[in-house]
Amino acid sequence: MSNLESLKFFWPELILSATALIAILSDLIYERKDSHKVSFWAIGGLLLTFITIRLFGGSSINGLFMGTMALDPFSEFFKILIVLSTIIVMLMSFNSSELDGYRKGEYYTIMSIMAFGLVMMTSAIDVLMFYVAIEIVSIMSFFLAGYLKRNPNSNEASLKYVIYGAFSSGVMLYGLSILFGLTGETNFFAIKNAISQLGPDSNLALILSIVFILVGLGYKISAVPFHFWTPDVYEGSPTSITAYLSVAPKAAGFALIIRFFNIAFGSNSAMGSDEWSSLNSLPWPFLIALLSAATMTIGNLVAIQQQSVKRMLAYSSIAHAGYMMMAIPVMSQSGIYGLMIYLFMYMLMNLGAFFVVMYVQDKFDGENFDAFNGLGWKMPLLGISMTLFMVALTGLPPTSGFVGKFYIFAAVIEAGNQYYWLAFVGVINSVVSLYYYIKVVRHMYFEGERSDIVSLPESKLTTSLVLVLALPTFFLGWYFSPLVEWANNSLNFFLGI
Amino acid sequence: MITGNFYTDASLVILFLPLLGFVINILFGKKLPRQGDWISISAILTTLVLALILFAIMLKNWDYKFSHEVIMPWIDMGAFKIELGFWVDNITIVMLLVVALISSMTHIFSLEYMKGDIRYNRYYAYLGLFTFSMNGIVLANNLMSLYIFWELVGVSSYLLIGHWFEKNSAADASKKAFLTNRVGDIGFFIGIMLMFTAIGSFNFQDVFAGVSDGEIKGNLLTLAGLGLFMGAVGKSSQFPLHIWLPDAMEGPTPVSALMHAATMVAAGVYLTVRLFPIFTPDALVTIAYVGGFTAIFAATIAITQNDIKKVLAYSTVSQLGYMILAVGVGNYTAAFFHLLTHAMFKACLFYGSGSVIHAMHHSLHNLHDHDTDPQDMRNMGGFHKKMPITSTTMTLATLAIAGVPLFSGFLSKDAILAGTLYFVDQNPQHMILAFFGFGAAAITAFYMFRLIFLTFHGEPKMPKVFEGIHESPSLMTAPLVILAALSTYIFYTLPINLIPWKDYGWFTKLIKAKDSVVAGTPSAKEIYDGVHYMHDLALVLSLTVASIGIGLSFLMYYRSTISSKSWAKRFGTFYRLSLNKYYFDEIYNRVFYQPFLKFCNIVAIIDWDLYDKYFINGFGHVTKLLSKVTGQVDYDGLDQTLVDGVGRSAGGLGKGLKNIQTGRLQNYMLFALIGVIIILIVQYSVIL
Amino acid sequence: MYRDFGTILFLVFMGIVLIYAPLVIQKLLAPNDPNADKLATYECGEESEGSAWVQFNIRFYVVALIFLIFDVEVVFLFPWAVVFNELGLLAFVEMGIFLLILMLGLAYVWRRSDLDWVKYNVKYGRGRYSNLYKKSQTIKGS
Repeated sequence: MSNLESLKFFWPELILSATALIAILSDLIYERKDSHKVSFWAIGGLLLTFITIRLFGGSSINGLFMGTMALDPFSEFFKILIVLSTIIVMLMSFNSSELDGYRKGEYYTIMSIMAFGLVMMTSAIDVLMFYVAIEIVSIMSFFLAGYLKRNPNSNEASLKYVIYGAFSSGVMLYGLSILFGLTGETNFFAIKNAISQLGPDSNLALILSIVFILVGLGYKISAVPFHFWTPDVYEGSPTSITAYLSVAPKAAGFALIIRFFNIAFGSNSAMGSDEWSSLNSLPWPFLIALLSAATMTIGNLVAIQQQSVKRMLAYSSIAHAGYMMMAIPVMSQSGIYGLMIYLFMYMLMNLGAFFVVMYVQDKFDGENFDAFNGLGWKMPLLGISMTLFMVALTGLPPTSGFVGKFYIFAAVIEAGNQYYWLAFVGVINSVVSLYYYIKVVRHMYFEGERSDIVSLPESKLTTSLVLVLALPTFFLGWYFSPLVEWANNSLNFFLGI
Repeated sequence: MITGNFYTDASLVILFLPLLGFVINILFGKKLPRQGDWISISAILTTLVLALILFAIMLKNWDYKFSHEVIMPWIDMGAFKIELGFWVDNITIVMLLVVALISSMTHIFSLEYMKGDIRYNRYYAYLGLFTFSMNGIVLANNLMSLYIFWELVGVSSYLLIGHWFEKNSAADASKKAFLTNRVGDIGFFIGIMLMFTAIGSFNFQDVFAGVSDGEIKGNLLTLAGLGLFMGAVGKSSQFPLHIWLPDAMEGPTPVSALMHAATMVAAGVYLTVRLFPIFTPDALVTIAYVGGFTAIFAATIAITQNDIKKVLAYSTVSQLGYMILAVGVGNYTAAFFHLLTHAMFKACLFYGSGSVIHAMHHSLHNLHDHDTDPQDMRNMGGFHKKMPITSTTMTLATLAIAGVPLFSGFLSKDAILAGTLYFVDQNPQHMILAFFGFGAAAITAFYMFRLIFLTFHGEPKMPKVFEGIHESPSLMTAPLVILAALSTYIFYTLPINLIPWKDYGWFTKLIKAKDSVVAGTPSAKEIYDGVHYMHDLALVLSLTVASIGIGLSFLMYYRSTISSKSWAKRFGTFYRLSLNKYYFDEIYNRVFYQPFLKFCNIVAIIDWDLYDKYFINGFGHVTKLLSKVTGQVDYDGLDQTLVDGVGRSAGGLGKGLKNIQTGRLQNYMLFALIGVIIILIVQYSVIL
Repeated sequence: MYRDFGTILFLVFMGIVLIYAPLVIQKLLAPNDPNADKLATYECGEESEGSAWVQFNIRFYVVALIFLIFDVEVVFLFPWAVVFNELGLLAFVEMGIFLLILMLGLAYVWRRSDLDWVKYNVKYGRGRYSNLYKKSQTIKGS
């Protein structure tokens, strides 16, 4: 489809980029002290984007912009996830005292641009578009990680992020160029056709390219052994941005992995049992399974050692990437919709947990476990919500986290006995994670002084945002079939069923 | 509205409004004016109005085949599916009305009765929770959601019995009720799972279809049916799990009226009524025996009890036995009819007893007497003069329970007895069931009038206390009057029949029995005709036994022509057995509880001293070690220098930091590259 | 399959050879006669002073970055100009939007005072530059 024709299916992205431009313009006009008002424009734009995504939902077109972008319910699911989390994080940033003293206009502008990049990531079906989208996201996240200019930790986080990001995207670009060299194509579908023509001679080059591409994608979802940047960057960034980085790019990264590997390296029978046949009996799924096991194990074991809740959550988000990766080697339909469900639940509970951490950090001046002492008695709403988030992150019923994990484990077990060990590792890891999640609850309720004076957060926004995140976390543990159906439908469309 | 269909909308509102009341009251009740009771009351009155509207629509449509089903998916894992949904038919509507009506009466009655209670808001919140779960049971369209609400009802019963948990007896009673119910629920769950394994669905209609297609049959079906019946045994307090209900009277009296007389305990009967089509003849005979035996057995205990609420409790057990008996003999519409009439007059009796206890309590309180038991009938007498409304309404309800014509109990009890007679006529080897039925009827009439005479007539036993007795306030007597009125026959035979000894009316026209789907059982028509045929005989017999019971009671406790003491002496062994409830608590204690405690001790030793000390702690040590090692690699090897450096840099060690920083990143990348190389080697070696 | 390795090895080898060969050849052929002027660092004819390893003012980087961004982006104009005639109005509109966004960037940089060597309208916080604001005021006044 030609560029001009494609434009009319491109409304959400157009609105998103217009939002970013308007945000910049309005920031030029506002005085310094009014700079935070840019967020109204940004949030308004994002809401409009959300609506347009819903309006254009349901259709499925594979070749926008000369075959570089796809519009389908699969990307729609992830777009909604991304736009929602962007809006939530922007709202979270309103009361963040970390950002006080900085001009906030740029902050919201950069976030809108990042959301744009993320949205592009979910619908790219061309290697070039894929790379450009990843770079937009990366560069914007570098800015955001280092947004606290006067805070050395933030500077350090940004610098590390830049260098590590440049490194991995360089490696990935090398992998992509090898792939291009082998196939002479950039479109995912064309690559797939070309690969099926290749003889076994090119296996080495193919493996090399896949591993290199995985470096770049693994860096985005922070999978072992490409996770080293994660704790440092998460700790140094403003907490709201840490929350954002742990959710949105991860979601987009998974969307891209699923799309890229499934189209380019999948067989014709989409997601059948022989989906990797075009790779000539490479033990590829086994390798990702191994990485997934390593990712969750290392994430969990190191998280136990942490003294800072923020750093603990950073490692735990590595562990969660591991759980989600369990679904990739399986590549069955139930595996992928399990992953989608999990991502949605994970967005709510992880943003919630970070939000409470941010609030505690601002109010009690500390992000260690001790800062949480007695919080459950002082502020029951925050205490209960945090307990809920922790229980959900552990994956216990009756919270949404359990449902998400349940679907992923079910898919893994369904895939047959060669993956039983993976499910077993996953379960053991969930048990281990209970230790450090419950530690937060212990500090909130059993350590420190039990106060009789009960208070709510001063700001109504904080209270309502906590509720907005906590209530679905709870209720999705009970009634989740609409979400499951939604994920399932998105996937069916993607598979052409 | 919400979904566009009135039945669905009404069901949703009826179900969730009380839950909303519960949530609001439990969270904010303390801060609200009047501790939030008005929220619960307006919620329950709204559901009452909706239930009445549904009822009116039912009468207007006059269609006994009406049904409406809504299904929503809940858990969908391909082959394994759990659905939620509503099943609305005439039985549902009548049951919803009963629950809403008795629940509203309880809410209103409690305004006065619970005034000044320290956990007033919680009390109302729990009432809301109970109403929600009970409505859930009534509306459920499949076994799984029914089971969920079943357990929720158990929880709310536990919370309400233990409302005054400062009293040890109340705390113990709530635990006893909860645990005894679990015993029945295990059987219930086994039954559900047997059904699901065989048929692959929880939905009632699917289950019926599956049974009639023979997907499950023979002994397995009997077993599944008895498993499901186990749940009813626990909840409806049938022998041998009857022990919890009398103890449950430790809860507030309005709660006893609502849950332990009218609605919750009837859930077991409701369940058997719903599931009647799947019971095999063998299962039905077992059910009939359990019910019949419970009816007469509990009645014999009730004769000798002195606590006014205990008498009513055993009478409830006995009446529930009646209903189960009716299901067992196949006449399950009669069981449901008795459930309906019993709910009205038994709730009335309980409110009456509550009113008496309330008055006694106040009077004793004013005398600063805290030793006299306000519930003991031996301390009462002659209250009719002081509290005429309570006395009159209770007497009306007693006439109903005794089966006197012109009252509702007469109609329903008669139907049950006629059904039993027909069954015995067809199966003479089960002759004893008829004796159970009529014997229990006679005894019931006797002990209920004993209660009335001891409490309201004769000379006051404690004149000082008697002085302080007053009629209860109108908020308490209003429910009494309403329910006493509803104990008369007229409300059940309208609008086509005004003859007091014929039971046909809206109930018999709108609630019709379904054929059983199990082969070899008599059809609903056969049973209906048989019952009709036996009706006159049953009427004569039941009138005879009722008048014997009433007459004996009159002579013994009103006229005192016969000395109750000398009779007690004459039947010494029996009297002691009955007074001590056949020593069931003691037997259970000796046979189950004590051995179980011993077993627990042994298990605890194994668990704590062996398993926990060695295995768990060992596992803990290993994990700790492992995480330490990993932590060391990541922390010392990678982060220690860096993190410390960051910490120091805040103090101004910029230069040191710069060096460490560059060093660190190189390491990071090095590790990533090593990872890539390992992956490549693994990959390549495998394909080579 | 091992032929792939052979090819790569050959490429690596050739890469090393082709870099070092000219260096070695010129070392062998060129006359070696150094004097002070020849050894001096070439700086457009100016005589260099001091070491090259000094810290540059951060402002150089800011200006350099801004220059680079606009420079690279404007490169897009050349291919556009070449095929402009064939593409017609659509291309013109597209380029217009592109330039508009660029202008917005320029305006932003301008407004943020990143084009000024000394930022007059930025309030400096605590630290090294806290005296700058006062200084800039005196410069303006003089």
